[in-house]
Amino acid sequence: MFAKKLLADVNFTSLLQCLVFLLLMSIVFALNSPVFVTPVNIVNILTAGSVIGLMAVGATFVIASGSIDLSTAATMGLSSVVSAWMVQNMQISGPVPLLVATAVGAACGLLTGLLINITKAPSFIITLGMMSIYRAVAFILTNGIPIYGLDEKITSIAEAQFVGLSFPSLLMLAGMVVGYLILSKTKFGAHTLLLGDSQFACEAMGVQVLKLRLAIFTLAGCFSGLAGYIFMTRTSSGDPTAGMNYELIAITAVVLGGANLFGGRATIPGTLAGILCLVVLQNGLNLMAISTFYQTLFVGLVLVLASFLRRLGPER
Amino acid sequence: MSELALQSVVKMFGATTVLHGITTQFRPGTVTAIVGDNGAGKSTLCKTIAGVYHPDRGDITLGELKLTHLGPHETRLAGIEMIYQDLALAKQHDVVSNLFLGREKTRFFGWLDQPKMVEESRAVLETMGINVPILKLPVGVLSGGQQQAVAIARALLFAPKVLIMDEPTAALAAREIEHTLELIKKLRERGLIVILISHRLNDVFAVSDRIIAMRSGQIVADKLIEETSMQDVVAQIMIA
Repeated sequence: MFAKKLLADVNFTSLLQCLVFLLLMSIVFALNSPVFVTPVNIVNILTAGSVIGLMAVGATFVIASGSIDLSTAATMGLSSVVSAWMVQNMQISGPVPLLVATAVGAACGLLTGLLINITKAPSFIITLGMMSIYRAVAFILTNGIPIYGLDEKITSIAEAQFVGLSFPSLLMLAGMVVGYLILSKTKFGAHTLLLGDSQFACEAMGVQVLKLRLAIFTLAGCFSGLAGYIFMTRTSSGDPTAGMNYELIAITAVVLGGANLFGGRATIPGTLAGILCLVVLQNGLNLMAISTFYQTLFVGLVLVLASFLRRLGPER
Repeated sequence: MSELALQSVVKMFGATTVLHGITTQFRPGTVTAIVGDNGAGKSTLCKTIAGVYHPDRGDITLGELKLTHLGPHETRLAGIEMIYQDLALAKQHDVVSNLFLGREKTRFFGWLDQPKMVEESRAVLETMGINVPILKLPVGVLSGGQQQAVAIARALLFAPKVLIMDEPTAALAAREIEHTLELIKKLRERGLIVILISHRLNDVFAVSDRIIAMRSGQIVADKLIEETSMQDVVAQIMIA
């Protein structure tokens, strides 16, 4: 009875599909590469997924609310540029660059959310426009030249390890936990999902939809800003081209994890599983020395396969 | 229980006057049906009572409380609930989420008090004799009648004084209509003011105490149900 109930839960079946796929991939890669199942490689996988993972947490909220945000990667790039510029020119250090990057991300998210609310235009169009604007601002700030040669302390942050995990992967996992608690345990998270399910129902029941949407985009911006900080520490640079197309990978991970692209359904564990699928796939193919052209092909195939499998599962 | 009163309520959309000085009262423990052709002003009148629209002139009061310029949220807090024709349910979400939509129980910092919400949901469904197989089921998989019942239960959860129902039986099968009409009768017994917009005169006559016919934004007939007949009502609605 309990198992039947679980299998009827679309969130659970999506997560299960993702985990089964992850397990199958891991078995294939482990059989083909002796390095795959080693502590170092596992840390590598988590670290490699940290930037997109943080962006995907924000994307989960946006998609759950029935919107889409194409400006997350540009926000991440701008955050990395601004914090790198401040590290280099204002000698800020410690947690300040992290706070700066998060604040830049939050400001970008707030602005995007405001514009969607004011114009009432589809989020797809507005965020497409904001993607260009944030990229352009990053290019203008740097004259198109990445900010290199940051203090070694910055690089050392990315290399620091706690309990066997790198700082970037720990930050991503912390972001996932925080995102999970907010989305599934709080009133804000419930309203986010309900907004994606039926905006009319939310409005009719007195939910302040405009404020809610603003908060969702601001929160997503915070996660993109954090991702920008991690990107800066990992590359020791502020690069205006940072994370080109990452927004699509983040959206792919969220959808792989079982989210409804039209809103109302999304989970953070699903998103984490989606991210792991994509990163493990890339890592395994790298270890098997498969060309990047084929890697792109495989990512596309995975998404198509996941969409097909979703149709076989329970519908909501 | 307080009386709901409308005094010379006028509503305009641009240059078009949709409600022409509506004056009427609704007493607790009664079901009043508002009937009329499309564009007669029934829905506008109800949405004006529910705070979705603000009247351009006139007053709306519930007992001593003036509702005239309150928004939908404040109007709900004052005890006026409206069930929309499409029910305003979030279909991918479960019954509990829908029942508490917009008024979730929380413990601290917005942390949801799920056990309390489940407990109160069970209680209200049981009190109203509403049978929902599993509270965790998405509302979208329930039958039309069950969805209607969830919408009614949501309205009742916070002990409203007035319940406005827009075409509650329009999309239901015969058995479900019967069940919904039974629910409406229970609401009257609980002393609520029930306002019913409906095109289905059979349902109106089965459950209402009073019938208001509207045409072109005006009340053209206001009668107790025993003082009128279906032919009378149709004539009032149709005669220009």
